[in-house]
Amino acid sequence: MITYIVRRIMMAIPLLFGITILSFGIIQIAPGDPTALMIDPMIRDKDLVAYKELYGLNDPIYVQYLKWVGNMIQGNFGDSLIRQGVAVNELIMARLPNTLLLMLVSTILAIFISIPIGIISATKQNSLADYTFTFFSFLGIATPNFWIGLVLIMFLSVHLGWFPTGGVATLNEPFSIWDRIHHLILPSIVLATADVAGLTRYIRSSMLDVLKQDFIRTARAKGFKQKKVVYKHALRNGLIPVITIFGLMLPSFIGGSVVVEKIFGWPGIGMLFFDAAFQRDYPVIMAITVIASALVVIGNLLADILYAIFDPRIEY
Amino acid sequence: MKRSFSLLLSMIVIISLFLAACSTKTDSGSKNENQKENTGKEAVSSEPRQGGNLILAHTASPTLFNPYFSTGGPDGTIEALLFSGLVTIDREFSAVGNLAEKWDVSDDDKTYTFHLRKGVKWHDGEDFTADDVVFSYNIPLHPDYTGPRKLPFENVKEIKKMDDYTVSISLTEPYAPFITITAQFEILPEHILGDVPMKELGTHEFNTKKPIGTGPFKFEEWKDGQYIKLVAFDDYYEGRPYLDSFTFKMVPDANALMAQLQAGDISYSGISAEQLPTAKTLEEKGIIKLTSGPSNSWDFIGYNLRNPLFQDKKVRHALTHAIAKQKIIDAVHNGESTIAHGPGSPANWSFNPDMPKFDYDPDTAKKLLEEAGWKLGADKIYEKDGKKFEFTLTTTNGYGSWAKIAEIVQQQWKEVGVKVNIKVLEWSAFYEEIGPPNWKFDAVVTGWSIGSDPDPTWFWHTSEIENGLNWFGYSNPEVDKLLEINTSIVDQEERKALIQKSDAIVAEDQPYSFLYYPNGTIAHSPKLHGPKYSTANSFFEIHKWWMEE
Repeated sequence: MITYIVRRIMMAIPLLFGITILSFGIIQIAPGDPTALMIDPMIRDKDLVAYKELYGLNDPIYVQYLKWVGNMIQGNFGDSLIRQGVAVNELIMARLPNTLLLMLVSTILAIFISIPIGIISATKQNSLADYTFTFFSFLGIATPNFWIGLVLIMFLSVHLGWFPTGGVATLNEPFSIWDRIHHLILPSIVLATADVAGLTRYIRSSMLDVLKQDFIRTARAKGFKQKKVVYKHALRNGLIPVITIFGLMLPSFIGGSVVVEKIFGWPGIGMLFFDAAFQRDYPVIMAITVIASALVVIGNLLADILYAIFDPRIEY
Repeated sequence: MKRSFSLLLSMIVIISLFLAACSTKTDSGSKNENQKENTGKEAVSSEPRQGGNLILAHTASPTLFNPYFSTGGPDGTIEALLFSGLVTIDREFSAVGNLAEKWDVSDDDKTYTFHLRKGVKWHDGEDFTADDVVFSYNIPLHPDYTGPRKLPFENVKEIKKMDDYTVSISLTEPYAPFITITAQFEILPEHILGDVPMKELGTHEFNTKKPIGTGPFKFEEWKDGQYIKLVAFDDYYEGRPYLDSFTFKMVPDANALMAQLQAGDISYSGISAEQLPTAKTLEEKGIIKLTSGPSNSWDFIGYNLRNPLFQDKKVRHALTHAIAKQKIIDAVHNGESTIAHGPGSPANWSFNPDMPKFDYDPDTAKKLLEEAGWKLGADKIYEKDGKKFEFTLTTTNGYGSWAKIAEIVQQQWKEVGVKVNIKVLEWSAFYEEIGPPNWKFDAVVTGWSIGSDPDPTWFWHTSEIENGLNWFGYSNPEVDKLLEINTSIVDQEERKALIQKSDAIVAEDQPYSFLYYPNGTIAHSPKLHGPKYSTANSFFEIHKWWMEE
């Protein structure tokens, strides 16, 4: 097992480097550079030369890349080109807790809602409840996040005034845990919606599969109550494929949050990435790309490991 | 595994408890807000009172607070509150003393002597003196300077300290924008930054973490991606501001901004043309107050004069005649901007109200095109030498209304017999294609904003084609000659006549189809007293603003 994990990590390293080379190149192909935001009659092109020199923007791309990799290996993602004098690490650390909090809450919310729904849909297959849940989960998959977000803001925040319109906390108020939770509700609901819709379907089909297995029939034949059969015997096995899905969901923690963070003004990694992309803040873009791709690798690895833990039949 | 599953369950329980608890909190919270609102309506007061927190919302995030290194708009807003310059400009673009009580100009217009205000304190309690001025104005002159602000200081020969409260600045030649641009640059504290190597000044933590100035508000905190909070400076030389704090809040986009205005989360914000109808409705409901006026800018369609299609002046006149400008203003600006006939802005003192006009007149447009040798083809599109009058109109979606304008104009030109294809690009990509050295465009919808000195050199002078903002390749020796001397004329009336003459020639040449002079609008809480829209300086005398209870 340990050797397997080590081998997987070793395999991931060249993959990560490949990703950095690709993304570095792609960013450079995107037209413009950070100075596009500095158009001002009182700033001449030649006055920006010193700025470009300072950040090495005039160097050939491979030189820029090698410099960047050299720093990155030492855990230094360089300085922001826009927020001059501020380290990218600092920018990310300021945002990371917000994103993690939002992700944690929305994921737990998603699990909390989707497991019971999935079980009910499976045990009462083709019932009215099953059809209703199916209908709503397809609706949830089909509806874009940003639309749900905007509707909730307009209706619940602006018209009814029940929730704040965005941000993580009320301005000019002392810190309060209630206030933070109050701000967390809408974005995490929106973020959880898509997950719930998908997870419900996975859990339903996986449970249906398991419920048809011989050992379930045996359990029933032994006279176990329906509850015990479903929760003790079927659920455990039914959740195994779902665990894989969790592992694969990990990278979407960053990707999926871009839209929701932007709509709710949630100062997380997603919003940082969005702004950096438009400002051509290369070091910030690269840092987040590296983190996101590392999460893909880790997520896959985690899924495999969890698989082995939850399903004793699997060995590596 | 059993343990991990029960851990999960207990977490779910805890979270659900949190959710339940906070929903009750929500109810009581909104009740309190309503009560506050009601009492606010009953209380009528007209006397300024101390207190209140101003929350300004902006969709762009500031980058750093050091006028010698910053470039973006929002930075300037905060810099003007943290720091003070020798002079500032009032709402009408006139220079008024700030850190300098008054100033004298030598007879040859080459030496300015500033008499500094005494008893001004930095936010850390130190005294402000002539040393700070000498230090600050020498920053852009330093050989190791890495910032972008060399131009305003290019004519500065020497900055001399006469005594602790007198500074004399000599120029190599008379420079009209010296007072309105150069002398407006905010002064930085020598006692903090004096020993910092010039190469490190642009990235010094002073700029982002602990700026110290002499302005009405001092820096408190910067919550990345959320807000920047400034608090009243007790020892401000004109007296402590009435407001307790000024918060610059970053909001994701214009929709979120409007939602927050409506919910009362923010108390001050600029309003874009697209949001104007919504803002008007909110004003009618008494939720916000609006103040507006001409902004110092103009929007236009510029033609790439390197393209033979646009080299005939008659063709450019025809294209302008074919545009119903008022329809554009009605469609994208709620009817609240002024038709433009030439460059400049009615907000600016150098504006020429009598420039040649090319009003909407499709028949004249067609006549002019025919005079220029174009013939209407079978498909109702003009053609010449077998080539159709067809080109691409490029614009950016970075600013709300331009892409919409492109569509309207496309329709209007089609009615005359000119075919246009629209290309909308993201801002950086737009600049990359339009700007030097690519100039890969036929025509673009965009706009210019002028700044506190109206020098039009940047847009029209031949020398600005190669590397500057004259992306369209406009060149007229007569205009060049006028512009070359404009900044050396310190007398405003004389300079105004010259700029007006140059602007009129440009209007006659129509290198652009000038569309309109946009109005700017600010929304603020009805409880906030003091804001008045001014393109020159909307935050003029902010220490006198106050907030009702």
